[in-house]
Amino acid sequence: MPVEVILPKVDMDMESGTIEAWHVKEGDLVRKGDTIFEIGTNKAVMEVEAPATGAIRRIRAETGVAITVGTPVAWIYVDGEATDGVIAGADLLPVAMPVSGQVEPAPASTAVEPVVAAAPAGLRATPLARRVARQNGIDIKTITGTGPRGRISESDVTAALVLRGAHQNSTVQTSPHPEEAHRAVSKDGQNGSRASTNILRDAISGEMAPQDEGLKDKDRSQSAGTLKPFSAIRRIVASRLSESMRSAPHFYLTSEIEMSAARDLLRRLSVRHERLAAPKPSLTVLIARVVARVLRDHPLLNASAEGEATRLHERIDIGVAMEREGDLVVPVLRDAGSMDMLAMTREFARLREGVVKRSLTPAELGGGSFTISNLGMYGVDSFTAIINPPQSAILAIGRTVDKPVGRDGQIVLRPMANFTLSSDHRIVDGVTAARFMADLREALESPEVLL
Amino acid sequence: MTDTATRPNQRPELAALDDATLSAALTRMHLIRKFEEAAEASYMRGLIHGTMHLSIGQEASAVGTTLPLEAHDYILSTHRGHGHCIARGAEPKLMFAEFFGKETGYCKGRGGSMHIADVEGGNLGANGIVGGGLPIAVGVGMSIKAQKNGRVCMVFFGDGASNEGAFHEALNMASIWKLPVVFVCENNKYGMSMDISRAMAVANVADRASAYAMPGHCIDGNDLAGVAAVANEAIARARSGGGPSLIECKTYRLRGHSKSDRNLYRTKEEIEDWRGQDPIRRLEAELQVHDRFGAAELMSLEEDAQREIDAAVEFARTCPDPDPKDLTRDVYAL
Amino acid sequence: MRSELIEPPVQLRELTYAEAAREALAQAMEADERVFLFGEDVGVYGGAFGVSGDLVHRFGKDRVIDTPISELGIAGAAVGAAITGMRPVLEIQFSDFVTLAMEQLVNQAAKIRFMFGGKASVPMVVRLPGGSGTGAAAQHSQSLEAWFAHVPGLKVLQPSTPHDAKGMLLAAIDDPNPVLIFEHKLLYKTKGHVPEEPYRVPIGKAAIRREGTDITIVGSSIMALKAQAAAERLAADGISAEVIDLRSLRPIDFTTIAESVRKTHRLMVVYEGVKIMGIGAEISAMIAESEVFDFLDAPIIRLGGADAPIPYNPVLEKAAVPQEDDIVTAAQNLVRRGEA
Repeated sequence: MPVEVILPKVDMDMESGTIEAWHVKEGDLVRKGDTIFEIGTNKAVMEVEAPATGAIRRIRAETGVAITVGTPVAWIYVDGEATDGVIAGADLLPVAMPVSGQVEPAPASTAVEPVVAAAPAGLRATPLARRVARQNGIDIKTITGTGPRGRISESDVTAALVLRGAHQNSTVQTSPHPEEAHRAVSKDGQNGSRASTNILRDAISGEMAPQDEGLKDKDRSQSAGTLKPFSAIRRIVASRLSESMRSAPHFYLTSEIEMSAARDLLRRLSVRHERLAAPKPSLTVLIARVVARVLRDHPLLNASAEGEATRLHERIDIGVAMEREGDLVVPVLRDAGSMDMLAMTREFARLREGVVKRSLTPAELGGGSFTISNLGMYGVDSFTAIINPPQSAILAIGRTVDKPVGRDGQIVLRPMANFTLSSDHRIVDGVTAARFMADLREALESPEVLL
Repeated sequence: MTDTATRPNQRPELAALDDATLSAALTRMHLIRKFEEAAEASYMRGLIHGTMHLSIGQEASAVGTTLPLEAHDYILSTHRGHGHCIARGAEPKLMFAEFFGKETGYCKGRGGSMHIADVEGGNLGANGIVGGGLPIAVGVGMSIKAQKNGRVCMVFFGDGASNEGAFHEALNMASIWKLPVVFVCENNKYGMSMDISRAMAVANVADRASAYAMPGHCIDGNDLAGVAAVANEAIARARSGGGPSLIECKTYRLRGHSKSDRNLYRTKEEIEDWRGQDPIRRLEAELQVHDRFGAAELMSLEEDAQREIDAAVEFARTCPDPDPKDLTRDVYAL
Repeated sequence: MRSELIEPPVQLRELTYAEAAREALAQAMEADERVFLFGEDVGVYGGAFGVSGDLVHRFGKDRVIDTPISELGIAGAAVGAAITGMRPVLEIQFSDFVTLAMEQLVNQAAKIRFMFGGKASVPMVVRLPGGSGTGAAAQHSQSLEAWFAHVPGLKVLQPSTPHDAKGMLLAAIDDPNPVLIFEHKLLYKTKGHVPEEPYRVPIGKAAIRREGTDITIVGSSIMALKAQAAAERLAADGISAEVIDLRSLRPIDFTTIAESVRKTHRLMVVYEGVKIMGIGAEISAMIAESEVFDFLDAPIIRLGGADAPIPYNPVLEKAAVPQEDDIVTAAQNLVRRGEA
């Protein structure tokens, strides 16, 4: 009788598994103990050995398809044993047995049509799934695909990452092939469980987190949390900002600027706006107004990268970063260069309301030529922002706070704020950015220069 | 051109041409002949890649038909077009540069032998497609008419092309719209190997003109003066708004169709017969008979031509090849 | 690009596609005396599809020229006129008849500039009504645009809206290269907003007709419209499809497609020409070769014309080219089950 080859149970809670790859094909001669296929579970890939010596026949399991534990997937015919009647027209040639450890190549069994066609070798996974797996340092072979014919898609990889995070201890403990698990999940090669947690974190943050060597394993072994898929906007933001960091070499300049004059101006404008029943002007709008004016003299900062060219924009369109229910949106003050404070305050109020009501058109939410981001109201002192591509720069504004500064030989308290400009070095050089910052400082500290 | 009355003993076609015109025409015929001989020699020495179609033996047709054209007139040429280019005043050194595939050539090495053009000089290009220039001539005629600039377009083609649909479509349209086009068929007897008598049901290409209600002239294409006289008439008709004409120059190419031709379809005797009709030698002989030029003068015209061609080859050989990075440069106009 | 997402206010002037093309021709002829129109029955008949209309009465027989039935001849005439200072606009009555004019378009128009080392240009426009759906059967219904997109030196456009029919035709007339415009016959009577003043729609820019996140559907010509209709239905089914109207086959706007696929991870290309060896193959291959490959989360799929001539019977005719339902079903399968 031929020896049955079954899909073995290799994990405690395992009910089914997938054959990831066959190492043998129909008619191959194997010796007991040779690896004949690889099996994938939720956690690892394992090699399965031949239970007997002989010729592999009737391979009936495709790769990538979930198979119940214990199901026969092939048979081994020993010592010239005739194939049984199950095989239609079983005109197999006699199988030569290996002599003194030497394996003779079997004649090609082209005439044989097995009951189930031999599974195509290799694994099915989409390019994106492979990419995500690669980024997270996970072996794609260890993932079960749920698509047609077991194809692994991105969602399978993400799901596997979450699962692994949840069961990481058992993965390490139960895997009979620790080196496999280790290869699958750990890049630093030191500790599988630590790596698992990182994978989880990466899966959620969408980025490769740096390995933190300082934390103890138990700190890492926390529950996986919940996996929240990106919102549509979050996906766009993630992809655009990642692209920005990849393609635009950022550099940063910070200036501490005295805000006395700006505050004073804002106070006076408030009175005027109140009289005109216009919305109250905010510091963000005032800064946008000043930036729009200063940008006129700095065309490279009102520009974008296009392939190997710089597009200088004629119009100044200022995007203002805003938050909406955890999402980042950037409505645009279109033609900000031509607006006075009153017009800009009104337009800003309209955009703000539009953001909340989700009534803005895509055109109003994109296509700026420069962006400002003000986190001062959250008490942030200073920060660096990622450029909103394909723009050439973004201005990050910290809170205004009274600080001791030297004035005319005296230490006095003055309201100060940190402005940090992130620039795309492909377009903007250090001196160019510095000149912009100098003009910005002058305009904010002495708004009369704008007249 | 001068009055025939001053040369009473000469046939009117020859008498109509003054010495300066004849000298220039003869120089151009020599330049064509020497150009093609040098091209052939360069090919045999492996200096030229690709093939070429030589018109040795057909020089009177190229020079005679174009002689009455004015500087701003247009021509459209064929794959056997070196003669037409030189006849229209193209510089042999730039032609050789093109031949050698150099950046300095007429087409910057992109066209080669079959696509030499000199658009500024009114040569709208040789054409690798049999009959390719014929419909284009119709459009050039439409341009001339729309722009009322008084020009004429002369389009060359071979006997083989007269069996293309393009020939019939073009002649018909040129005729219904009375376009200023002169159709010049250089009938050298063979479309590659196909004898025209086996390829065409009428005896002469010119006979086909009647189907398009235009004059058809069937002439000795190796007689420079005769060709020039008929071309003059057709060009004048076109320029005055009289419409197109068809001229068939019966001639013969003494070389094969291209460099791979082994002359299996014609006899040595036939080639020898036609060698006796060499248009350059015929003109020289006639000029000496009438004492228009002396032997020494004729000799020096030929030697001058040879010198110019030698210098042209030398120039072309030393010119730079195009840079591969410019390969796609002129695919589109910007 | 984004501005096109804003719907025009309802009171804006509307024209049919044919009227829009005619307005472009009239404005081009008014502005530039080098521009002239010719082709079979473009004069008093007004063109087989009524595009030239009354232009012969407005511009005269010397600028709106009826030609004999000589497609090769008139294509060559366009080349000759173009290289000697004119701006011819040629109509090939049915795009199928362009087969008779291939020599002049492919060997001459496309190559003259290159062969002459950049010393000539061929500023000509050929308008070609194409496509199925009129019961005109196999020799009057083809979509042959991909043939020409294979030829360096030609530009190939497929405007899908009245707005683009005008703006792309004007851009084509301005262009110093030979430009072929394939106009789908079923589009001629469609209406849309067309500004009165002359304007140009840049050649080589695709238009995002609808933004989406789950799948990118690239459609050319009438298929861009079918894709938009399908996208509305998909939206009701919870699938967010981004629809790109290709507009220009050559030059092709690969950037817009790639950016979209990078975002949606799925690509479907819909076109009326025979599916195999066509537009879809090129776009699929460009994506597969590019760095966007790594962002694909499903097979790329093509919906194209059947591998058969266009049949006469209306049921068969409909079955021979992709329909809105096909697009919806294919998109659902791809997004939901990953099936191509």
